[in-house]
Amino acid sequence: MPSLIDIRRRVRSVKNTQQITKAMKMISAAKLRRAQDRALAARPYGAMLQQMLANVAEAAGQSPDSSGHPLLAVRPEKKVLLIVVTADRGLAAAFNTNLLKMAQRFVADNREKELTFETIGRKGRDFFRKRGEKITGEYLDMMKLLSVEYADKIANSVIERFASGEVDAVYLFTNEFKSVMASNLSQTRLLPIEVPTSATSVDYIYEQKPEQLLGSLLPKYVKGQIYRALLESVAAEHAARMTAMDAASSNANDMIDKLTLYMNRVRQASITREIIEIVSGAAALD
Amino acid sequence: MADTFQIQISTPEKLLLDMQAQSAQIPGLDGEMGILPGHAALLSELGAGKLSVTAVGGKTQDLQISGGYVEVRDNHVRVLADKAE
Repeated sequence: MPSLIDIRRRVRSVKNTQQITKAMKMISAAKLRRAQDRALAARPYGAMLQQMLANVAEAAGQSPDSSGHPLLAVRPEKKVLLIVVTADRGLAAAFNTNLLKMAQRFVADNREKELTFETIGRKGRDFFRKRGEKITGEYLDMMKLLSVEYADKIANSVIERFASGEVDAVYLFTNEFKSVMASNLSQTRLLPIEVPTSATSVDYIYEQKPEQLLGSLLPKYVKGQIYRALLESVAAEHAARMTAMDAASSNANDMIDKLTLYMNRVRQASITREIIEIVSGAAALD
Repeated sequence: MADTFQIQISTPEKLLLDMQAQSAQIPGLDGEMGILPGHAALLSELGAGKLSVTAVGGKTQDLQISGGYVEVRDNHVRVLADKAE
């Protein structure tokens, strides 16, 4: 039977851990709020851009001298670039694991192709580096640096590699923020761009030629998608960590309760034993 | 015909402005554009410059923008600016 002191020590250590998980939960909750606000604020722009792109693409497609824009060129997929957005840190339940599993599945299905990786976040980088994959670009500390410029930097390098024919397709793996309790895994083809179709066709006056507009809209669309993916991933990460730490805190509570109960039982047992010893000792004297 | 139109100005970060306006001056890539209620559908790239919106009641609001797009449709102006302040 473990001694009283051992159990008391264990209770103390669980309490300490609980304090850490509680603090982490609180921090994530605060950061989640900010991240969520940012992600939501960025949505109108994305929706408007998509709408506009759909209209312009349709108009550009109708004009006679429409030569396909390089970002729309569909080539046989021989060289594929995977952009994997993960977190820098763990302790966020299955946030990283699930995403990496999905990416790994894609890798297994496309072994015959030449795969290269750009990883955003430390966890993804470590994962693929350990497996000996070719990582051509890595971005760390995304959470701190996240801005439009930061997303542009990533997008520019990706766009250039696609346009120059270095890669034939670009896929984006990311966690999409759905709600605090749930996030969606998403795998999308970033390039070549699949032009969204518009529900309504409007006869616009074009200040510039539609092809010219399309040419400048397409890169912006890619940038917008990456920026949005980063925002959503950050929000989803905080949400996942908050939920995980909440569960950890309540598990710690359960554990403390159980240990305390056990401790009391052990103490009671030793008291009873002592009484028996005294009583039987006194009885022996009579 | 309506005597106002809705104008929305947003940057990648957030929606900056969403209001009813009487008129707007928008710096197009090929020159300033004035927009009044009932403007025909239009799509244009934007240059850098001052965008001013005159609200219902005559108050004018100025924004500095650099690059982006403007779409006018059904009395609804959407400005997508790369940067604005």
